[in-house]
Amino acid sequence: MINLNFVFSEIFISISIMFLLILGVFKNRSSNLIYNLSILSLFIILISNYNLFGKDELTIFNNSYKIDFLSIFMKFLVIASGIFVMLSSSKYLKLNKIYKIEYPILILSSILGMMIMISANDLIVFYMGLELQSLALYVLASFNRDNVLSSESGLKYFVLSALSSGLLLYGCSLIYGFSGSTNFDQISANITEVQYGLTLGIVFIIVGLAFKISAVPFHMWAPDVYQGSPTSVTIFFAILPKIAALTVFIKFLYVPFVNLIDQWQIIIIFLSIASMLFGSIAAIGQQNLKRLMAYSSISHMGFALAGVAVGSNEGIQSSIIYISIYLMMNLAFFSCIFMLRRNNEYYEKIDDLSGLSKNHPILSISLLISLFSLAGIPPLAGFFAKFYIFMAVIEEQMYALAIIGLLSTVIAAFYYLRLIKTIYFDKELEKYDTNHNIGLRVSLAISTIIILLYFIYPSSLLAIISNIKVI
Amino acid sequence: MIVQSIFFYLFSLIAIISAIMVTVSRNTVHSVFFLILDFVSISCLFIMGGAEFLGMIMLIVYVGAVAVLFLFVVMMLNVAQQENEWFQSKKGEKSSSSHIPVGFLISVIIFFELVIVIGGWKYKPEITNNLNLQLDIGITNTHSIGAVLYTEYIHLFQISGMILLVSMIGAIVLTYRKREGLKRQSYFNQISREKNSGVELVEVERDKGIKIDV
Repeated sequence: MINLNFVFSEIFISISIMFLLILGVFKNRSSNLIYNLSILSLFIILISNYNLFGKDELTIFNNSYKIDFLSIFMKFLVIASGIFVMLSSSKYLKLNKIYKIEYPILILSSILGMMIMISANDLIVFYMGLELQSLALYVLASFNRDNVLSSESGLKYFVLSALSSGLLLYGCSLIYGFSGSTNFDQISANITEVQYGLTLGIVFIIVGLAFKISAVPFHMWAPDVYQGSPTSVTIFFAILPKIAALTVFIKFLYVPFVNLIDQWQIIIIFLSIASMLFGSIAAIGQQNLKRLMAYSSISHMGFALAGVAVGSNEGIQSSIIYISIYLMMNLAFFSCIFMLRRNNEYYEKIDDLSGLSKNHPILSISLLISLFSLAGIPPLAGFFAKFYIFMAVIEEQMYALAIIGLLSTVIAAFYYLRLIKTIYFDKELEKYDTNHNIGLRVSLAISTIIILLYFIYPSSLLAIISNIKVI
Repeated sequence: MIVQSIFFYLFSLIAIISAIMVTVSRNTVHSVFFLILDFVSISCLFIMGGAEFLGMIMLIVYVGAVAVLFLFVVMMLNVAQQENEWFQSKKGEKSSSSHIPVGFLISVIIFFELVIVIGGWKYKPEITNNLNLQLDIGITNTHSIGAVLYTEYIHLFQISGMILLVSMIGAIVLTYRKREGLKRQSYFNQISREKNSGVELVEVERDKGIKIDV
């Protein structure tokens, strides 16, 4: 008998999606109510997910759904960042007239898809979760449908993402054909020798996943989609799908194909190096903050992939620490962008930051902290994230990867520091509004404090993550 | 046995005639109707052959959804009358908008494919019949699909439901627009209207008339 306690979060979130939909249909002007209720339901599944920590790992639904420490931790990250994203973006939605009942419902269904992806132990389940989350993301990207850029970004993301899903599905079929099973454990048991069909299947699936986390050379969609989507969706794009796709990367490469590490390691190293370098260099010429963050996230994903490429437990743990700190930094930065509002209009150019420190000292300090952390300057959290990655890489004697990583950190520091120069030393502009809602203030405060004070007690996160052992 | 043969030939005859009518008919709406008839007869053939699940799915998906969609599209685009001649476009239109040559080529290819498949099946049975499945005659298709769909793959079944729900929500979000300035009938307002709100007495000046449009 399946123990349904372990999928309580998934069942609860599905039921609340349907309930909120019915509520929205029959009650007029209920968008505020539904928005708050969906935050509440995310809180409930956060708590129910927290209760799963410390339980033994088990597989349910015919071994196709795995509840282990990795999946519980990653689901925790996804849900927590989902709550922060929703808390910080409600005012933006209201002012841009996209505060509709469907918005929180689509966010919830996307989170449901990510939870399914994270727990999947079977190619079919993984694919279904992926489709559920990307289907909701297509709609979210073009949610501001009267805006040309938003519609364009939605269409672009839809076409390219559908293509990558097709490649991924083709890879799944090759793996099923050559190993005789779709179950991760069963595939690992069935593989006795290296077959070219399997390698081809792995390559196709890596391409599909690399597209989802926008690693170079599958990054073309990211800048346009980040810029075109509403900012509340951009922050969602920048954080949540990356966590889910990185988890799948780790599970997919290390559960069924850990014995074929010679075959896929070089691909991951290439993706990592290309993303780190390209993300840092291409960001230099950008003028739009959201576009800049797209390139910055490409480069950060390169670092996270460097941890995956190492092939040891330390590498995976460092990569998970990296993504946890990355989400905090992005949350802090985007909360600051949400605060650039004057007369109910939002500003997102780099020039709009000019001389911010004269009128808004606290906002400038938060931006300073998050930018220094993104650049990886000690003693902020971003430094530790990069430090663990480099430690794991050097331990396996992959010096070339480490050196290129350091080089791209230096290049990336240039454009982060240029932003700080604009904030502190340029001519000041008009004042921005200061009446922000409490949710935005709270998420900015929490994320900034975590980034700032992480160095006091770094072992708190390390102790939790050292429980994750995939190999 | 004789009844079965009669039914088989009846359905096949209808299927073939309606398939011909789909292509021959000058009116596109009629073509769609014949297409529906064709689908129905073929699903009847499937059911007679013991593949009742396939037949019913064909009825639901093709007749219920696809063909009705065709019908809506054809009616909305107002292309009911096909004006082209058989092998050349109408005089005055130089563009080669006649679809017949391409359609003819494709149907020839399909015909040869069918000849190969059926010929192989007839003279060399081992070409197509290489299934090693142990089929139990006593269990119907629907039963055996249901036996795995609702037990082993129940979670996948539910997730597909969620995917369909999300796609429906997405389609509505992106296309539905509340129209401004639309006048709707309200029975309550109509019935509760009083005399002094509806009737007004106005002095009309001689030879000038009055504007009563409010």
